[in-house]
Amino acid sequence: MIVQLLILLTTIAAPIGDAAIVVERQGFERAVSTVMPRVVKLYGLRGGAEAGYGSGIIVSEDGLVLTVLSLLIDARRIRVVTAEGLLLGADVIHRDRNRQLALIQLRPIDDEASREDRHALHSGSQPSSSDRLRLPFFNIAEQAELRPGDWVLAVGNAFKVAEGAEPVSLVHGVFSTRTRLDARRRKRDFRYRDDVLVIDAITSNPGAPGGALVNLDGQFLGMIGREVISNRTNTHFNYAIPRDVLYEYLLEARGIEDRESPGSQPTGVSSNDENGWKNRLSEAGIRMSKVGYKVVLPFVARVRLGSIASRAGLRKDDLILSVNGRNVPDMTAFANTMSFLAPDEPWDLVIRRENRIVSLRIEHATTTDETTPETGGGQ
Amino acid sequence: MTTHLTASLCGWLVLLPLSVAMANPTPESSDPSSAQHPDFTLLHATQKTFRNVADTLRPSLVRIETVGGSQPPEQSLPVDDSEVAPKKRKRSQMPFRDSPGLSGFEVADGPTTGIVYSDDGYIITSSFNFIREPLLITASLYDGRRLIAKLIARDQVRKIALLKVEATNLHVPQWLNANQLDVGQWSIALGLGFGGDDPSVNVGIISALSRMHGNAVQTDAKLSPANYGGPLCDIHGRVIGICVPMAQRPGELAGIELYDSGVGFAVPKHRIEEIVAVLKTGASFYRGWLGISVDRRHRDSLVIANVADPSPMQAAGVRPGDKILTANGKDIRHFGELVQTLYMLPAGTPVELLMETDDSGYQIEVKLARSADLGPLPDLEEPFDPSQPLPPPKNE
Repeated sequence: MIVQLLILLTTIAAPIGDAAIVVERQGFERAVSTVMPRVVKLYGLRGGAEAGYGSGIIVSEDGLVLTVLSLLIDARRIRVVTAEGLLLGADVIHRDRNRQLALIQLRPIDDEASREDRHALHSGSQPSSSDRLRLPFFNIAEQAELRPGDWVLAVGNAFKVAEGAEPVSLVHGVFSTRTRLDARRRKRDFRYRDDVLVIDAITSNPGAPGGALVNLDGQFLGMIGREVISNRTNTHFNYAIPRDVLYEYLLEARGIEDRESPGSQPTGVSSNDENGWKNRLSEAGIRMSKVGYKVVLPFVARVRLGSIASRAGLRKDDLILSVNGRNVPDMTAFANTMSFLAPDEPWDLVIRRENRIVSLRIEHATTTDETTPETGGGQ
Repeated sequence: MTTHLTASLCGWLVLLPLSVAMANPTPESSDPSSAQHPDFTLLHATQKTFRNVADTLRPSLVRIETVGGSQPPEQSLPVDDSEVAPKKRKRSQMPFRDSPGLSGFEVADGPTTGIVYSDDGYIITSSFNFIREPLLITASLYDGRRLIAKLIARDQVRKIALLKVEATNLHVPQWLNANQLDVGQWSIALGLGFGGDDPSVNVGIISALSRMHGNAVQTDAKLSPANYGGPLCDIHGRVIGICVPMAQRPGELAGIELYDSGVGFAVPKHRIEEIVAVLKTGASFYRGWLGISVDRRHRDSLVIANVADPSPMQAAGVRPGDKILTANGKDIRHFGELVQTLYMLPAGTPVELLMETDDSGYQIEVKLARSADLGPLPDLEEPFDPSQPLPPPKNE
């Protein structure tokens, strides 16, 4: 009962504190009081190059926490420390491999299990298991304006330097640009292919992923993403997953108990489509060139007369430069890009023809068009 | 001020019961025009300025994409690089190579950035963007046109490249002169290397006005392949320079290891202007080499340790043990002074050298050569290996 009262008191006290100091706080520090209580430190499974610690953002009063998908949450016991120093447990509610996100539910932990953790994490207080959690949280349904050049603050458990009840670390920078992620982790492709917010600050450090990105006013912008290397530049990359993507995920994941989302395929990604694209290419009437020394360029070797491709204006000897906005500098990239497209997705091609750049779109007909007798076309 | 403070406090006290709902993380209206602490207002103002810079320069930015080409072959690190593990450090027979490859970094094939140089279709960018020797280069302009771009020439020293597209009435940005730059002023780098139509914005300040023999302005804005070739500009959207990777050692990839480190370089206007007429003729600017290695055991004079075969120096009859006294009339006392004197001279430039052999002087004129035209250093009776640490001083 006393604990309950205490929690109640702190929850009421928090906004009072915020309000009283807002007037005096001048610059970046203004946002801090609103951001810090809403970011938690996570501790879990460690292995290989995985750190075993991370960050999460509280998205509901009763302790739903969004974080990045990592080995960390595969732990039998996940331990969470809030900015106030509360030590909590957590259960994984939902994982999304394609968005590389996870939703976990915080809960109080029973005394025996927690004693050693408390000692290990130097955490102070902990609510008893009968208490209902009342935590400050980010309302990620709420939009905030954001343009390149805007100041941003990133908050996360970078390098685990925040010990015990210490709040997580704050870095500042500017929002750089919003772009579609095309990246890899070590040698493997990173499955997240949606938009990201590129940050002009070093946030890509162990432990920081899962932390929050906010603007000058403390409004939530996104969640710091996992460490990756951009395929476009081959450089390490500092980014956050935008609020709208997180919100969409939260709506989807909420209520679905500990399993992957149905289908578990994000828009445009089919999992086992190693060769499906080749069939679709040939259905569209296209044969690619296989000739090349060291590098095979995506030249069109043949376009079947009367085929979809032919009617769309594709011709023999066209060099395909990009497919649906993704550059295809060689056949490997071309194959890779094609295998990521959904079966019914139209192809927006940019091609070089002699000395011109031409754009054209190939739509896949729902009916079989190949039988249509037609003498027109590109050849 | 006190009254303002009290008023605000009162306002908050009235609002308090409402603010118990903790979902909204905004402590108060985010409208920057409402009464704020001056520091906070200032932050909002700078933010607005940063936004405007991207808008101002966007019409002059060009997205460059390449097709074909390949990763440059990995090569041994330059002679002086001590970061290589001793095991890997082989005796370098070809110390003059401007190594394009550096182990550990692969040049990506993603889009890169350029900037309109003149309204008749010249685009200036970084030579870094063409290390893969692409078969085809395209340039996408602000108005959406994607055109084939011709690589006219590149400058190995300034790390810039000149492209030409068939287009007119392009939007030329405003440039800052060298005398308008100061250490500490805002500098913002824009790039299109992450994809998308909006440039990425990286904010920093100018760290130094003259680096790399005056070829570059230094900034702490994060420069990387995402903005190499793009502009570094001031808060009014005026161009300070072209972002490039750069280092004291030669090599196309030299400087890439500093990406996003807070040490970045941009080639300023006057350094571009002095070479652009040459580049327009199609002549690339290659670093000029004499083809010698230097005996660094001598601290007070420049003694030649070995002469490459073939090389301009060999053709002039220079032999190991000879001393260089002056180059183009300037006294040369050590290797650094020789580099200083010759650094900006491209291959093909004649250089006058006053030499000394035994105790007699002689004068020669040599034409600096491209690194590719130099032969290896021949074996000597007492081989001199510049990649090895200096031998201990002889005591006999």
